[in-house]
Amino acid sequence: MIEDDFYRSSSQFRLWSFTEPSLKSQRATTNAVASDRVRAALHRAQEARRSANSSAAGTPAPGGDADNKPVEEKPIDCLTPEEEQQVLNYYCEQIIQLGDAYKPPLPTIVRATAIQYLRRFYLTNSPMTYHPKQIMPCVVFLATKTDNYYLSLRQFAEGVPSTTAEEIIAPEYIVMQSLRFTFDVRHPFRGLEGGIMELRAIAEGQGQPAPHTRTQTPEDLKRGLMGIAPSPSPSPTPTLNDRISRAHHDTREILKYAAQTTDAYFLYTPSQIWLAALRLADRPLAEYYLDTKLGGPGTQQQQKENPFYALRTKLLATLANCAAMLESYQPLSSNQDQMKTLRRIIGKKLYHCQNPEKANLSGQKRIPAAAAAATTTTATAGGGESGTSESEMERLAKKRKLESDQKRKQSANDLFGGELVMQRTKEKQAE
Amino acid sequence: MPPARDVIAHRGDDDEVCPVCKSSRYLNPDMRFLINPECYHKMCESCVDRIFSSGPANCPVAGCHKTLRKNRFRKQTFEDINVEREVDIRRRVMHILNRREEEFDSKRAYDDFLEQREEIIANLVHGTDVAKTESDLQKYASENMRSIRANQAIEAQEASSFREQQTQEQELARLRREAVRQEYENERREIMAGREDVLSRLAAGRPADAAAIAREGQKVLLKKSSARRSEEERIRQKQAALRNSDVKKSGPGAVSSSDKADDLGGSSLIKGLKKIKTPEPEKPYDPFMGYVPEKRDYYTLRDYYPNTYLDPVRQDTRMQAGGYDLQEYYSRTLMEAFAGLGCFIDEEISQRDIANASDISGPVATKGAAMAAVSSAGTPDASS
Repeated sequence: MIEDDFYRSSSQFRLWSFTEPSLKSQRATTNAVASDRVRAALHRAQEARRSANSSAAGTPAPGGDADNKPVEEKPIDCLTPEEEQQVLNYYCEQIIQLGDAYKPPLPTIVRATAIQYLRRFYLTNSPMTYHPKQIMPCVVFLATKTDNYYLSLRQFAEGVPSTTAEEIIAPEYIVMQSLRFTFDVRHPFRGLEGGIMELRAIAEGQGQPAPHTRTQTPEDLKRGLMGIAPSPSPSPTPTLNDRISRAHHDTREILKYAAQTTDAYFLYTPSQIWLAALRLADRPLAEYYLDTKLGGPGTQQQQKENPFYALRTKLLATLANCAAMLESYQPLSSNQDQMKTLRRIIGKKLYHCQNPEKANLSGQKRIPAAAAAATTTTATAGGGESGTSESEMERLAKKRKLESDQKRKQSANDLFGGELVMQRTKEKQAE
Repeated sequence: MPPARDVIAHRGDDDEVCPVCKSSRYLNPDMRFLINPECYHKMCESCVDRIFSSGPANCPVAGCHKTLRKNRFRKQTFEDINVEREVDIRRRVMHILNRREEEFDSKRAYDDFLEQREEIIANLVHGTDVAKTESDLQKYASENMRSIRANQAIEAQEASSFREQQTQEQELARLRREAVRQEYENERREIMAGREDVLSRLAAGRPADAAAIAREGQKVLLKKSSARRSEEERIRQKQAALRNSDVKKSGPGAVSSSDKADDLGGSSLIKGLKKIKTPEPEKPYDPFMGYVPEKRDYYTLRDYYPNTYLDPVRQDTRMQAGGYDLQEYYSRTLMEAFAGLGCFIDEEISQRDIANASDISGPVATKGAAMAAVSSAGTPDASS
């Protein structure tokens, strides 16, 4: 399908799509790395404090050691990946609320983009390293920019309680780097509008059959739509148009909340998400709509003739999974128990296992060279894995440069440069 | 079959006799003998006119029943009729088996081909296996019509260019000779003039000056000749340079690419021919790399969709004035509605992950590569 190839070329598919196990292992790795570093950093901080104390006292006495021993033995209680997820979900809801604080409220799409930025950011970073409280305003501000909803920083800072403009943009470079500079988020909202638009056209007898099911006439489509099972919702709607409008509204609500605070964006494509949401809102309608595209269930014979039969079965299973995921969502605020545990996690646990070296972001903000210098100094101080990864980064950069040089040289050898078409097809294959 | 040897040996003698009409050169001094490559029987011109004017007829020589045609009669080139015949056969065979060296895989294959050709010629000349050889030859000729023609064309071209070059060289040589002659002439004239001048001065001057005048005259002559010589040298160098450049220019032009369009492996007669690679026809350039711009698989775009929210936009001139087109909106929303509907991330991404993993661990299974894999999988936490 051509449309699918369009999606395959997006950065969301290439960089930000995961299978469930890979998503989980990614989070586990992030958590493990961050925990190690937090422990090391806290340890270093204690050492520093102790040495400062002892030098202040001027007595490297055994008593000092005795003082510190119980502190060292106390294990640092880091967040588990699950707790991190809860924290993250909490801040996703905070973003939605933050959007309401402005007049006019931030558009849904800006909030959704911000939430996805936050989720992508915490895929490779841990709340223990960067506190979500600092990151959240930054991603929202970034989203207003990438979604072309202009707010000045001052104006924006007024909506965020108890921070300054400086603090908001302090982690911006780190955020962008963690987003791998891919700011494009494919949302299901516009797709939903398109689907509803087409459903309405069908309802008014102006539907156009899909390219592969040419035999259907607009009247057939309309009759089919009239004939679908009534909506399972408790209050039946009088007309078809009302039914579509209601489905539209319900789907939108699902997309606004459930789709944002679950991992749907990582695991499914936007069109699968909106169809799954529509399936939740009005299942017969969604299934009928899908049948107009891919052919109905039909008899055995028809199934054999239908070229999309395999695709259809697979898609229905995927939609069911996605719908289950969306359905499982419960707003945190509705669940008092959860809120209580969350407060404990964020209030106490996260406070204790916060990486002290990353606390002050405005100090190392924006200028990447400065940030790199800062990390190298910490690396040389602490040694260990951060140092190697730093040199690794340099090595990678050098390798990239070498490769591009080589490529340029190769094309320079050719009198008229390399072959255009061949190169492109090769790249495509490589993808 | 061939006429008696002694007759030919005395060719041109007065007592030469036409074997058909028995008239001798003695009676008819203008008598010319003609032969036909069909049977190589010699007869005089008047006999040919007499017998074959009214169409093809049998050879009048007793025992030879070949049918001859008048237009095939020609003058004998070689004294020995056997040589004549061999040259004819050779010409014919070479005409058909005209493969060129560059068409063969190796020098060895070409040499084999040459040997084979000689063998065929020898067979035809000496009459061994004539029927089979002839049929082979005919078969080959009909199968490889095109390449034979192409090679003939190339040969003709080469011959004509060779001739051209030849005449050019002759012309140049002539010019050089002319120039040398001219030069010699000039020199001689000058010497004469100088001598005369000295003589006249000697005649006019006093006897005491005689020796001085003679010496001076000698010196002038020497100077002139040396000046001339250096001038000539200069011109000669220039000409040489010109010639060199001429040769260079004609050098690469002589190499012409031969057209080997047909007969891949078709010629069972000749072995070791290069496989002819016909270059693949270049595909037309496709800027969309297989995409058809307006083609969609999930939906058909309409010109209009009923929508209470969008309908006012159609009428709103303020929106239309800026170039806003609802059509764009329709196509974008519908595209986003279906873009990726058939992408099953759990399958495609896991396949991609596997591919990536094998890519990285395959060629460079170093620690650095593993680190690169980790950082490319996106752990800035570990690297920043």
